[in-house]
Amino acid sequence: MVNRRIGKGIKRGKSFEMEVDGERLVAYEGETVAAVLVAAGRRTLRWTEKKKHPRGMYCGIGLCHECMMVINGEPNTKACQTLATPGCQVKTQYGLGER
Amino acid sequence: MKELELVVLGAGPGGLAAAVEAARSGVRVTILDENPKPGGQIFRQFHDGFKVTSPAMLGHDYARGQKLLSEFDRVRDRVELLDNATVWALSGTNELSFYRGDISSSVRYKKIIIAAGAYDRPVPFPGWTLPGVFTAGGAQSLIKTQRVLPGENFLLAGTGPLQLALANQIADAGGHVVGIAEAGRVENWFGLIMSALGQWQLLGDALHYFYGLRRARIPLWRNHIIVEAHGCDQVEEAVVAQVDENWLPKPRTYRTLRVDTLCVGYGFVPSAELTRLAQCQHRYEPLLGGWVPLCDDSMETTVPDVYAVGDCRGIAGNLVAIEQGRIAGLAAAQRLGRLTVNEAGKRMAPSRERIAGIHRLRRVLDGISAPRPGLYDLAKDDTIVCRCEEITLGEVRTAIADGATDLKEVKRMTRVGMGNCQGRMCGPAVQEIIARDRGLSPERIGYLNPRPPIRPIPLSALAEHRGDDAAV
Repeated sequence: MVNRRIGKGIKRGKSFEMEVDGERLVAYEGETVAAVLVAAGRRTLRWTEKKKHPRGMYCGIGLCHECMMVINGEPNTKACQTLATPGCQVKTQYGLGER
Repeated sequence: MKELELVVLGAGPGGLAAAVEAARSGVRVTILDENPKPGGQIFRQFHDGFKVTSPAMLGHDYARGQKLLSEFDRVRDRVELLDNATVWALSGTNELSFYRGDISSSVRYKKIIIAAGAYDRPVPFPGWTLPGVFTAGGAQSLIKTQRVLPGENFLLAGTGPLQLALANQIADAGGHVVGIAEAGRVENWFGLIMSALGQWQLLGDALHYFYGLRRARIPLWRNHIIVEAHGCDQVEEAVVAQVDENWLPKPRTYRTLRVDTLCVGYGFVPSAELTRLAQCQHRYEPLLGGWVPLCDDSMETTVPDVYAVGDCRGIAGNLVAIEQGRIAGLAAAQRLGRLTVNEAGKRMAPSRERIAGIHRLRRVLDGISAPRPGLYDLAKDDTIVCRCEEITLGEVRTAIADGATDLKEVKRMTRVGMGNCQGRMCGPAVQEIIARDRGLSPERIGYLNPRPPIRPIPLSALAEHRGDDAAV
């Protein structure tokens, strides 16, 4: 299992599980959904509507909207701006919503 | 409708400094910021879930940020900070609308200081939409405050000192930086050092970064550019080439590197949406990052009561943003009758001096890092230029062949800039590419008009918009 978390300089808080496309991932308090996925080596966050291309996190500051995912049933939610919460349900977005 | 005395938009370095000076002078300040905590991008703070155990490991920006944030803490009880607030409309008549906590409302203000910041300049090249391609700032945001490394084997490509900082951060975190492709010409070291004399903070940073590169054995390839990225569903390879003084790749210098992550940083684009909505006059200044509002030396724009500070009025970095913020905060306080002209002038003087010192260094850095025409030659006809609407450069060129003469017409004919990012990712580069194709200046190609809501917000909030009983 890939884990790209950096331990230096900080101590993480409570850990919990969340679900991404049915798979369980460990997250820590204060992590964004995008950070949890990137830490686990999952890069494709959505597939585009027209050309069915994969897209991943790009700008990281909530402007580009490349990280839109279906989070707790809500499509078009920016994963880089959404905090992971215990038990949250995240799905890869296909076009404008779920597959 | 409630009328606020002074509104500051953005709690980054410029906004915080403005709020500090104005509050110290007795002005009632309200800050609206889109993030959960003040600091902006550069001084972004950790979520409370993280405990900082070793501040020294978190770098210079972190230390500088802590200093400004503690200044802000001392006036905190006199400032109203509305966090997680999205400003979505602003008029030239002292009124703005924002979305916060599922509610949209409007307020009036006497004075406003816009400190909207900037974002990484997006540059289209073949493969730039593949997962694994990050903006330099995007990668940095993950490393700095999420403490996650976005890959294993990195290529950094772009220009300027941020690349050196990022390479150090990646290496510190245990990542492998295959190399740094620096498009600029960095031959003029002597001029750079002479102009940096006196700017000990910046000079110290630079020396620290170069030492870090040597220690981690990270090669810095000068006059090199990222040409394209390959991969099936993510980055697997990157091609770099040597460039001439116009940043045009030289034949027979192409090299393919095995990397999984690309961090691309060609400087920043000022966020001019708010000053545009305020009807301020703008000018195209390539060395300042693009379209910027005209300001006088007290940071006031061409619209009375509207000030602009920091990177949104021209890219100059956090040190300049802080000083501009102080000046604007004092200027607003004086105009609101809290300081005499003399008092305000005296307190602005040190900030003006510091800005002048930094500008000397800036001029040399600009000579190295200002984007050259070759940068806008990388995209091919089948390269996507508008990420949201998936529009290729070929489609843009067809629109021009069919008679479109500027960016607004290209938008109407192709949907470029009509997606979720509202043209922030495609506008600046498409403007430059069209200008180059047509042999015109970028000013002539124009800009994409920002229209409210300038950020996506739920329609349900708009339907119940509160005009008169604002939620402040």
